[in-house]
Amino acid sequence: MGVGYVGRRLLSAVFVLWLAASLAFFALKLTPGDPAEALLAASGATPEEVAERRAQLGLDDPLWLQYVRYLTDLARGDLGQSWLHGRPVGRMVLEQLGPTVELAVAATGVGMALGIGLGTLAAVRRRTWVDTAATAVAVVGLSTPTYWSGLLAILFFSLHLRWFPATGEGGLRHLVLPAAVLGFALAGSIARLVRARVAEVLGSPFVLAARARGLPGRHVLFVHVLKAAAGPALAVTALQFGFLLGGAVVTETVFARRGLGRLAVEAILWRDLPVVRGVVLVGALAYVGVNLLADLLHAWLDPRLREGAS
Amino acid sequence: MRRVLLLGIIVFLLLAGCAPRPGGRIVYGLTLAPSGIDPHVNASSELGIPLTSVYDTLVYQDPETGEFVPGLAERWEVSDDGTVYTFYLKKGVKFHDGTPFNAEAVRFNLDRITSPDLASQKARFMLGPYERTEVVDEYTVRIVLSEPFAPLLDSLSQVYLAMASPTAVEKWGDEYQLHQVGTGPFVFVEYVPGDHLLLRRNPDYSWGPPVYQHKTAQLDEVEFRFFTDPATRSPALETGEADVMGEIPPQDVARLEASPDFRVEAVALPGASLMMFMNTGRAPLDDIRVRQALLYGTDRAAIVSTIFKDTSPVAYGPLTAVTFGYDPTVQQYYPHDPERAAALLDEAGWVDTDGDGIRDRDGEPLVLDMVLMSWGYMPEIGQLLAAQWADLGVGVESRVVSYPEALEIAGNGGHHLIPFTLSGSDPDILRKFFHSQAFFNWSKVEDAELDGWLEEGARVSDKDQRVELYSQVQHRVMEEALVVPIRDYVNLNGVSERVQGLRFDGRGWFPWLIDVTLAER
Repeated sequence: MGVGYVGRRLLSAVFVLWLAASLAFFALKLTPGDPAEALLAASGATPEEVAERRAQLGLDDPLWLQYVRYLTDLARGDLGQSWLHGRPVGRMVLEQLGPTVELAVAATGVGMALGIGLGTLAAVRRRTWVDTAATAVAVVGLSTPTYWSGLLAILFFSLHLRWFPATGEGGLRHLVLPAAVLGFALAGSIARLVRARVAEVLGSPFVLAARARGLPGRHVLFVHVLKAAAGPALAVTALQFGFLLGGAVVTETVFARRGLGRLAVEAILWRDLPVVRGVVLVGALAYVGVNLLADLLHAWLDPRLREGAS
Repeated sequence: MRRVLLLGIIVFLLLAGCAPRPGGRIVYGLTLAPSGIDPHVNASSELGIPLTSVYDTLVYQDPETGEFVPGLAERWEVSDDGTVYTFYLKKGVKFHDGTPFNAEAVRFNLDRITSPDLASQKARFMLGPYERTEVVDEYTVRIVLSEPFAPLLDSLSQVYLAMASPTAVEKWGDEYQLHQVGTGPFVFVEYVPGDHLLLRRNPDYSWGPPVYQHKTAQLDEVEFRFFTDPATRSPALETGEADVMGEIPPQDVARLEASPDFRVEAVALPGASLMMFMNTGRAPLDDIRVRQALLYGTDRAAIVSTIFKDTSPVAYGPLTAVTFGYDPTVQQYYPHDPERAAALLDEAGWVDTDGDGIRDRDGEPLVLDMVLMSWGYMPEIGQLLAAQWADLGVGVESRVVSYPEALEIAGNGGHHLIPFTLSGSDPDILRKFFHSQAFFNWSKVEDAELDGWLEEGARVSDKDQRVELYSQVQHRVMEEALVVPIRDYVNLNGVSERVQGLRFDGRGWFPWLIDVTLAER
């Protein structure tokens, strides 16, 4: 893994971040609705007072000037101040980052464990009822929206069985249901990929050779087959990280957890543009970071990628 | 004898067990996502639910009589021309951080609220034609207005204009909202945005207004948590994760009431009713007969019973029935009368000539553009209205948009119909909807007489005169068929039976937590 490879990946990461920041800036400018009016209309402010506020927020300046100001602030690490809260965006985003990362990591754990388990099971017992059942579970996970599975989980595990708290935060017990709900949704796509990959590897010459050498089936499965399947599972998880952040929005709302998702929803509803941009940027940063890490890991797992790159 | 003794013990235990006792903590469920909670800066109603108990205001409003009673000001005088308010402050009041409360503190707070740098979203505008605050002596302060403003005391009785510790405000700067310091019955302990807010009893409190029943708070702690998804609110109450929950969905009310462990406290809110604005500036609603037809063709009772499960009253005019100045004679207008509605449409020339079920005139079908926001059951109401009006031969095309987008569309008059509601304890709220220059003039009314009444109502302080003015406004709004009133807003609070003594202020939103006790059962 040469320095060139890592350097190129880093450079492209910076490019992606700039693209995300600019997209967030211009896309939000296209959404209808005047932020100053949204903030003040119900307060009884006069049209003149609203115009004053609009000027104060810099919304009267030409678009290019607003964009340049935004990028220069960004370059200095300044995400600006929330129009709705009147607090620094950087601090607000940091506050909400922890709980979202906690949920995302836990859900990834659940998703990978469940997805690899189901996928492997389905591949090993291909074309039996086990395969059908595992695939069915994966499809259900893939296609059930989390607001629905979340509510069902609350109804059954909290209200009926009283195993876990329905909402809020505070330790592992609070994390179980949201992580399971979000992880379940993630497991579907991992399971399908793992099933295909494991099935392919199971029929490949090196596995046949290992078997022929008399290695026990379990050893072959865990050492040879799963190592081969781990790479793609990792890649799909990284790609799904965006989905995970999106799913976290809904999951956070259903389970009354704080996090970036809820912050973003509120900011979008109120056209609190600095906060929306801040959340988008942090989301992009996380996405780029996770994919960079996954690429490097994948390259380490699969020598062919390294050689091709250097 | 033993039996009697046993019975005595049981009775004693029961009595002792049911009696409210001081101390304890409750969890109070709020419905808002993480949002700014500095009452001087931010505008939500939710922030007042916890913070009303952290702060005191200069005056309070007695919800029974509507009269203003002493708060941090023990008495006050208003100059004859209504532009100078002199407040004589209570002595010996201390903020939670030990800072003494005095006239200088009042001036500091009002200067803060009106400073452009603070970018207040509500408090600033509640002061109306505010000019300045003058310190007369340590315990006397004067608020000077540029013209009379009748709602001033009402504004000063709300948490948005509450008194914050100048020391704390200066110390924390733009992070003050995480470290708020007032003089109220509870101390602000911590706020983790979006997760929880914790209040603890202020043992030194003794300067409460006469509307409080206790001298100090009975509970030790109140923790507020956020439940943004309406579907999760009742379950959180039922699993014991919350003891009080605001904004229970109407369909959950019967279930909670059927349980011996919960009750629902429905608080009617003063302010504007939920009404569908009819754009008089856009054909065919520029024809009053069409607007009146829509009113006669609306079965409001059916809407209230289907969507709100009869938990809120039917509205007949632009003000809710519990608002000061509400004129009950508006109930005479527009009873549900589909035949009359049809006759009015016929008279206006709208007849179904091509038999497609939609009336038309000169080849134009009678189809109205309805703009809805996703909250407050507006989509459901829009759907029912469309169904009822379809029976009249009126078509509706509806779209759901965000609040800022709705402001833009309706501001430009790009709608036929759009619903809205606002709560507020003074009838001056009507000025926000029916004054020709108002942001929410979504009926696009331009009536000089109406403007005059609304401006006069904000200026004069004589109650009878105000009642008369607002009565004229309400009748004009309905005579001109500017809106289709739907329902009065009712705040449905789900409450655990262990919580006793929960009362709300005159706005119906803000609980007086000082008097809440726990019944141990």
